[in-house]
Amino acid sequence: MSESKGIGEGGKSIKQIMTENERLYRETGCYAGIIEPNLLKEDPVKGELFHSRIMASLIAGRETTRMVSGSPFVREVAELCLGIYTPEGDNIAQSTGIQIHIKLMGDNIRWMINKNYEEEVGINDGDFFIANEPVISGMHAADVYDILPIFWEGELIGWVSTVIMEMDIGAVSPGLMPTANVERGTDGLKFCCERIGSNDKLNRDFEHKIEICLDMSDIFLLDRKGAIAANIRVREEIKRIIGEFGLDYYKRATRELIEEERRNQIVRIRQRMVPGRYRGVVPAEFPMADQPVSWIPAKRDTIRLIPIQMDVLPAGGLVLDFEGIGEWGWHPFNGTPQAVWGGVSIVTVQTLAYDGRGNLGSLLPIEVKEPPIDSLFNPSQIKKLATSTPWAPLLDVFGMWTHLLGIAFYLRGFREETFNYRSSAGWQMAGYDQMGNKRPLLAAGTGYFGPGACGVCDGVDCGGWLATPEVDMGSAEVWELFVPQMELSHRFEPYSVGYGRFRSGLAVPTVVMIHRSQQLVGSGALGTASDGIIPNLGQFGGYPGGRRNNLLLRYDNLPELMEKRQPLLHEVGHPVDLKDRFPGQVFDVGLIPVPTEIYEGDLLLSVSTAAGGLGDPIERDPAWITADMDNGLTTEWQANNIYCVKTRYDEEEKRWKVDEVATRELREVKRKERLSRGVPVKEWWQRYRQRVMDRDMDDKILEMYQSSMRLSEAFTREFKDFWALPDDFNL
Amino acid sequence: MSYSKEDLRDLYDGSLPWHKTFEIMSKPKDDDRFDKYIEILQERVSYKERILMPLGDHLNVVQKGGERIVKCDCGHEFGDWRQNWKLNALIFVRDDTEKLEEIYPGLKCPDPNLCEVREFYCPVCASLLKVEAVPVGYPAVFDVLPDIDSFYREWLGRPLPEEQEFRDTTYDVTGEWGRDIE
Repeated sequence: MSESKGIGEGGKSIKQIMTENERLYRETGCYAGIIEPNLLKEDPVKGELFHSRIMASLIAGRETTRMVSGSPFVREVAELCLGIYTPEGDNIAQSTGIQIHIKLMGDNIRWMINKNYEEEVGINDGDFFIANEPVISGMHAADVYDILPIFWEGELIGWVSTVIMEMDIGAVSPGLMPTANVERGTDGLKFCCERIGSNDKLNRDFEHKIEICLDMSDIFLLDRKGAIAANIRVREEIKRIIGEFGLDYYKRATRELIEEERRNQIVRIRQRMVPGRYRGVVPAEFPMADQPVSWIPAKRDTIRLIPIQMDVLPAGGLVLDFEGIGEWGWHPFNGTPQAVWGGVSIVTVQTLAYDGRGNLGSLLPIEVKEPPIDSLFNPSQIKKLATSTPWAPLLDVFGMWTHLLGIAFYLRGFREETFNYRSSAGWQMAGYDQMGNKRPLLAAGTGYFGPGACGVCDGVDCGGWLATPEVDMGSAEVWELFVPQMELSHRFEPYSVGYGRFRSGLAVPTVVMIHRSQQLVGSGALGTASDGIIPNLGQFGGYPGGRRNNLLLRYDNLPELMEKRQPLLHEVGHPVDLKDRFPGQVFDVGLIPVPTEIYEGDLLLSVSTAAGGLGDPIERDPAWITADMDNGLTTEWQANNIYCVKTRYDEEEKRWKVDEVATRELREVKRKERLSRGVPVKEWWQRYRQRVMDRDMDDKILEMYQSSMRLSEAFTREFKDFWALPDDFNL
Repeated sequence: MSYSKEDLRDLYDGSLPWHKTFEIMSKPKDDDRFDKYIEILQERVSYKERILMPLGDHLNVVQKGGERIVKCDCGHEFGDWRQNWKLNALIFVRDDTEKLEEIYPGLKCPDPNLCEVREFYCPVCASLLKVEAVPVGYPAVFDVLPDIDSFYREWLGRPLPEEQEFRDTTYDVTGEWGRDIE
């Protein structure tokens, strides 16, 4: 045991400070034992100024990174975020951006503290640490954390950390967040809170390593320099703030910001929600049977259930429980308990704590019950596994959580807060770019998603992406510089919608043509694990959006079409007859396209679909439907068949009009049809029970239930209770 | 902070001008929202029983004598609030390509081997009350069981008379159905 003086307050070690604060929280229920947070209140203007100065430093730091970086993920889509932390790794404030990582970056700091970095590795002023290992804490290897300690006169008074999503991490093809990978070595470079610089200077040996190991080393190193510049900028601003406000004020006020936010979060929950039990279920599909992996046991298709229950407690807290979750598998989609907290963080800042004060305090009133060992979100074998894409099922789960929160807001009367999220998947490539460099090739398009309907209006078209609150797909022209493709259109897709009295937002499919690459392999990039089972995101009487699609279209005669200046495909059109309309081959390649060679002139389509509509579609105001038709957002088929609105196009006025009499009749017919088609649930239940008893379901579905039942007696009991199955019955 | 009932009524109908809607979205929440919400809902239903808690478009938990039941705007009663109201609805299940493609044509169609879309209707007014997309075989989801007594007692400070135990009684019903078969 070393007798050296600790780097924390009063010569204590950071670990001592962390342990002491945890004890105080346990004993008092207040962060750091702050029962009376009076400092900020004593002079509220000073308190506001203090917080604003911290926030301004973080946002300025974030913009600094965007100026230094060469990556379109940073410059165009802003897939980055900064946070400032207490010495023990508790988040005080966060910039805008991918706030999914705010707790995860803090968990890396806590890991360093727990691993006794202070004595065994050393934590010094001017050190740079890097991390991207989900086994410690993170979403996937492509998200890289740059962590910088902040010292004041020899005392560690905090940390600043930046997260950036990288374009290349050296993984197996397609190389960014691959899907045809199983074992951890295929994830690419992993850093376990490693020191890569000292005295504010990046180590030259680290640069050499990156230059050799990564195809896009220039982008990766520029991102590090951008993150380091941001971190140093924040550090220096924090020193100025301390110089101005005093060290004691800084220490007390930063902790009060966390405690104040904890209290505010409870107030928000009690003000906007209704206590009770809220339930949803997410099925996650992992089609691995045809993936070219060398670990042969991985070659099977599986589905895993992820039930989610949110209990809103009368005391004002929330509890999330995944009882009934299925088992982990040999695929890159397994999560960790820490990654679950990433989902909690990003939903929280978009639904409850969206006033810019979000920090660790927003999360303290939330309890996440640890998923069972060897479940999809807690594999004991996690160190053996690839973890390139755990966020595929996690984003589905947290889309469902927004849905449950939306129900709670609706019950309380705050329908304007009701909505839900859905994620999607698309193409990802590896190969040669237009300049002849071989590398991973992924163009982001975060703005392509349609969120669910709001409780008081339609969802925002192209306006919802759970993983980051700022929805911006970036400039197509910039992506075209980085990926050998031409974007052929950005058009709203009417069939992407979730129908309802209020409809969901619409999505915009990606339609690109491959151009000027000597060799390319296409595969999948997953932000969802939903394929054949659409998500249960219909709100009340609204429908969820339908199946999302990845398509590969190959013209029979592209040069001839271009020679004759004939139109190319720009939109999906009616989803039934694409194969008939397209002059060539159409391949529907499913959720995870098996890596396949693609060629000049091929069209790649990623057709996202939206979350849920809200309310009965036949109650939708007909005038809203014709307005949508005028804008190309709803088709006549949808008006007639889904909304039961009879319309006609007025050639003179060049707009759609409602035939009100025919509409009333159509809607009446629909109601009668429902009454004649519908059967009492008891009758349905009796027939269906027999089907369950006969195990009359797809093998993958059967195995899905068996997997959940292997892990959960409670799930088994509820399943049997619902279907009134004998105790000794086994599915 | 408070809004007029007229504005809230229009907000819920989607007819409030956008600038006012945006203002309500952006500003701190109004403390009297729940009471006004209930008043607005009460004005719109065909029955006199007191609404205790909304459950969704057309559905509310109401106080009927000493009972609390789920009731549709049209007056149809779905039984005790603590059991999944879906058990007393009409159901239509889209479980094959033909039925699914009525809503989700062609490429949009889920896989009927894995997924079914259940529509729950009010047996009287035929309103579509809930669409449930789940894996084949999954029990009907009990989306929300509000803790009504804790809400009124601890959050509103106005306890309801004759408090009822907060527990899910759905399986009492399905257990009975199972015994009927045997």
